[in-house]
Amino acid sequence: MNIKRPIPITDLDSVDWWSAVSRHEFVCARCSDCNVWRWPARAICGACGSMTWEWQELTGNGTIASWIVNRHGFGGAFPLPSTVVLVRLAEQDDLLLPGGWAGSADGVDLSVGLSVVVGFEDIESETGDSDHAVLSWGPRHG
Amino acid sequence: MSGTHPFRDRTAIAGIGRTDYSKNSGVSTLTLALRAIRAALDDAGLATSDVDGVACHRVGDSVQATIVAQSLGIKDVRFHLDLFGGGSQSAWTVGLAAQAVAAGVADCIVCWRSINARSGFRMGGTGRAAPDSIEFQYQSPYWFATPPQQFAMYGRAYMDKYGVTSEDLGRVAISQREFATLNPRAMMQAPLSMDDYLESRMIVEPFRLFDCCLETDAAVAVVITSTERARTLRQRPVLVSSAACGGGHTLYSNGREDLSTSGAAQLAPRLFDAAEMSPSDIDVAELYDAFTPLVLLQLEDYGFAAKGEGAALVAAGSTSLGGSLPVNTHGGHLSEGYVHGLNHLAEAVDQLRGDAGPRQTVGAEVALVTGQPGYVAGTSSALILRADK
Repeated sequence: MNIKRPIPITDLDSVDWWSAVSRHEFVCARCSDCNVWRWPARAICGACGSMTWEWQELTGNGTIASWIVNRHGFGGAFPLPSTVVLVRLAEQDDLLLPGGWAGSADGVDLSVGLSVVVGFEDIESETGDSDHAVLSWGPRHG
Repeated sequence: MSGTHPFRDRTAIAGIGRTDYSKNSGVSTLTLALRAIRAALDDAGLATSDVDGVACHRVGDSVQATIVAQSLGIKDVRFHLDLFGGGSQSAWTVGLAAQAVAAGVADCIVCWRSINARSGFRMGGTGRAAPDSIEFQYQSPYWFATPPQQFAMYGRAYMDKYGVTSEDLGRVAISQREFATLNPRAMMQAPLSMDDYLESRMIVEPFRLFDCCLETDAAVAVVITSTERARTLRQRPVLVSSAACGGGHTLYSNGREDLSTSGAAQLAPRLFDAAEMSPSDIDVAELYDAFTPLVLLQLEDYGFAAKGEGAALVAAGSTSLGGSLPVNTHGGHLSEGYVHGLNHLAEAVDQLRGDAGPRQTVGAEVALVTGQPGYVAGTSSALILRADK
């Protein structure tokens, strides 16, 4: 059974981030005053309180902080097995993003601390449009 | 320590009430709440007309507090609270109610949790909408949606950092099942062996079936009033020595670097200081156990073991029946039932009254009751309770 990925449900703070991902661009909100990155995007800097910020491009590099392997379908909602990774971005230790894993479906090729690089997976909506994408991480070589 | 904290021991739990635990209650969450509240008032020797405050926590899965107040016939609600959040809020609902009584806002507040968590709104997936959290949109496209998955993500990081094994998790489940076999109310009564645990099916790696809590239809309620008033009522009062909340960052928000500690580590010093106690004063601990590693995490974050040493404490038998710190003496969410933290509170009251029968901790005078330690809501909460002298 081919289970389609759920379409991201965006909000007014996140819609620009998802639009960037759909163009295969990997960005993050960053404070214009103290340069601290923040995730998810929001209107204020939790480090310095500044309201001035901008989207900046990320390197796409990170390390595996953790991962799970779905073995139970929770009512048929998930393909089995399927792996979800939690990636710590290279830019800042407290930036932790969930994402798909482009490697083995059962995650046997994963370990905590493994170097990874971002990729993108286009997903189709119910109407067959492919104007959405999600993160798909893979091993970083060299 | 700088003298008596103004909140310490000013309020008390005067009564507890539980509905039956089942997989299909056949009634509304309103009816469940009212049954548990009626039982708690009977336990205390109070009438519905004595109640002037209502408090619950919920995640869009249960009746509103004000509807319960209307149903009880309260014409002038002096305190009401509908705290959004999962089990991390369970101790804070009661803590806020106790503070309201101590401040003179209300005299008698009922606190409860009422859920059809098996027949209605299942945390495990079906029958529920996405949680009201901005982070969820970044998880759901990856089929990363349910609590077992979210706690497995944390659990692997914790296990990897400290070399915690599946057997370490299994010992938590087995110890709590041993208590459950002594608890007629427990949903899970059959003894659990390590083989049973290891052979149970994988749900989401690294979690097996018996790492996961139950889903239960039930309600549990408690009555909070002043210590003075509680002393005039039917039961031996259980005093609220302190209440605290703390932490705030989730797995996914800017600010958490270390996935192996929780908000409990932040609130614990405040909690013990306000009670003028230390971890060595705790006789019995009812630790929120949505999943097995949370017990190990909290043994560490509340100061009963060094980081990474929680599993050794369990392996030594310290948390089992007759140990130095019995933990989840009712069987917990893993084996008694899942009432989102309120069944832990009710068990602590039974222990401090000496009413826990064959699972009684001998000489229990002080109990720690915790909420879920901060995943995924971020914040956590806890109470220290003690038997009235």
